[in-house]
Amino acid sequence: MDKETLIAQLKEIVKPYAKNQEALLNINENTDFVNDLKINSANLVDVILDVEEQFNIVIDNESMERMLDVKSAMEIIEAKLAAK
Amino acid sequence: MIGNDIIDLHLARRESNWQRKGFLSKIFTAAEQQMICQATIPSDMVWLLWSCKEAAYKIINRITNNRVYNPVKFNCTLSDEQEDTITGTVLFEACNYPFISYRNNSYIHTVAVSHDVFLNRIDIYTGNSLPSHLFTTGNALVKNQDGVPYLMNCGTYSTIPVSISHHGDYVGLVRNNLFPGV
Repeated sequence: MDKETLIAQLKEIVKPYAKNQEALLNINENTDFVNDLKINSANLVDVILDVEEQFNIVIDNESMERMLDVKSAMEIIEAKLAAK
Repeated sequence: MIGNDIIDLHLARRESNWQRKGFLSKIFTAAEQQMICQATIPSDMVWLLWSCKEAAYKIINRITNNRVYNPVKFNCTLSDEQEDTITGTVLFEACNYPFISYRNNSYIHTVAVSHDVFLNRIDIYTGNSLPSHLFTTGNALVKNQDGVPYLMNCGTYSTIPVSISHHGDYVGLVRNNLFPGV
């Protein structure tokens, strides 16, 4: 899966939780879920659960610790998909 | 060190579906999930425990300046639970962080400290906006390069650590007060 497709999929996932719509429109690898998109910390777990469902992967606690931005999320998703 | 977290319960109800599959097990320990199941009002227990983890996380983050999303590693234990005030401790990496929570039908406000002695040496504000009187007597709210807030006396440049939390209609603030009563 190429990066643009993955970012587009992540954009759809975070859309319901993002409070900063402008940052959502400009989402890219460097976008931070909390500082940029203003997703509240309780909704980060929804993002993680939605990612698990969408990609049919399991995000372990160690990976979850790093899931604070688009770049880390992409790395984790790619690694989990590759390990399937 | 101090940390605080405020939760607007009406907003939390709209923003989060804690009953969705996997939600509780991703962020709460087995013991905490049991506390939630056995609570008279499970949703209140969800947000109480969540606010405790967030308040303790803010202390750790203040010390380490390291952002990590690891709520399940914060173990909450309640020692006293009254209708409007709850106390207990959060255990994280072999250190205990005592907390006190105040709640009503609209919000839960939790303050965690790095040591018991600080529980008597803090000022806690809960309201709909930042307490303006704190900022009118020559004090200014400043943040260091990592975004950690302090109250600075503009005459002496001395600083006092503060922790600020916003959610929905509510703002929580706690500041160290080393000289209670002054």
